[in-house]
Amino acid sequence: MFIITQLITQLCANIIFSQALGTSTIIIAARNKKNLAFAACTIMLFTTAGSSLAYFADKVISSENQNWLMLCYVSIIALLYVCALTLLWLINKNIFNKAKLYIHISAFNCAVAGSMLMAHNKAVGMHIFYNYFKSGLEAGIGFLLASLILTAAYKNLNSSKVPASFRGFPAMLVYIGIISMALYALK
Amino acid sequence: MKMHNFSPVDGLLRDNTVLSAGMVISPIIICGNNLQNAVALIYAFSIITLFSVALASFVPQKLPYAAKIIAYAIISSAIFIPVKILTEQIYPQCSESIGIYFPLLAVNSLIVYQTEVRFFKMRKLKMISSLVFYILGFDFVILLVGFIRELLAYGTIYNHVVNMDSIISGIGAPFGGFILLGLLCGIFRKLRTIASSGNDSDSEVK
Repeated sequence: MFIITQLITQLCANIIFSQALGTSTIIIAARNKKNLAFAACTIMLFTTAGSSLAYFADKVISSENQNWLMLCYVSIIALLYVCALTLLWLINKNIFNKAKLYIHISAFNCAVAGSMLMAHNKAVGMHIFYNYFKSGLEAGIGFLLASLILTAAYKNLNSSKVPASFRGFPAMLVYIGIISMALYALK
Repeated sequence: MKMHNFSPVDGLLRDNTVLSAGMVISPIIICGNNLQNAVALIYAFSIITLFSVALASFVPQKLPYAAKIIAYAIISSAIFIPVKILTEQIYPQCSESIGIYFPLLAVNSLIVYQTEVRFFKMRKLKMISSLVFYILGFDFVILLVGFIRELLAYGTIYNHVVNMDSIISGIGAPFGGFILLGLLCGIFRKLRTIASSGNDSDSEVK
């Protein structure tokens, strides 16, 4: 029962279905089924690490200098992006060569930056590292769940039975909308 | 340098930023449920994107790919700062109602992906004109979506009450945004196919 409750909570607070964060990214990644799984896992790592580092940024930036917050968050994402590229280069140069053209899509997007901003908004007046980490991890898991749901329907949404004008991207939007509507009712 | 043959008006019609390319969707779905938000988003998106891409075009192309992407994102988030201050003066209420989607415009896909793929493969003047049409493409879609959703969900147009018999409140919610945008994309594709097949038959007759 606990797992079901947690799953429903995760789905209801999902960054794609309830906040549309990272929709463009999931649609770009969905053009290739393999890319979707890779992008979702990478984004989960970026949202978790990004939100955790946002904790330190929020400690440094005073409430009067909130205008600089986005610049600071983008710098954090840039740092994570460089770290990810370096790590891939050290692990395997073949994977690095393949991933270097796509990994920026997983780093600089609304899902990662949005999860950092959400963690910031949730932590008003109460800066606890664990809350930032949890918020980022939840956003990442939410993105992963959304991509799993999309992967399950990928074949049908791109099937020849769907009218050509609606095949792929438009059908995917309507599909996300219907799931979002179901989750809206669950709330 | 190899120049690619893109038409400058592609961003508005054939390759619309939102309806065709699927970029910058989240602010349209969440905040594009009334015309007031739509106008504020048009203002913020247009300024941030135009100045970011124009300034980013001065980033040396010889730099490694990763360094260029970082530079573009940093430039756009730096431009966001004066735009935010200005927006708080011009649209104080909208700045609040747009919430986190406002700063997120600084990492929109048009700046992060399309700069390298499309804009920087053009000459400067053509790049600016193409960029303007891409921005107009977004502006047109958010105005259309904002108009339809405000009218159907709240029975108003720019906060003025309209005599509507029935209201579909769900269209103002995120799921309504997804479904409406999906339907608009499908209609847009159909119209584009009809237009292109019409052009083909015209050229065959000639």
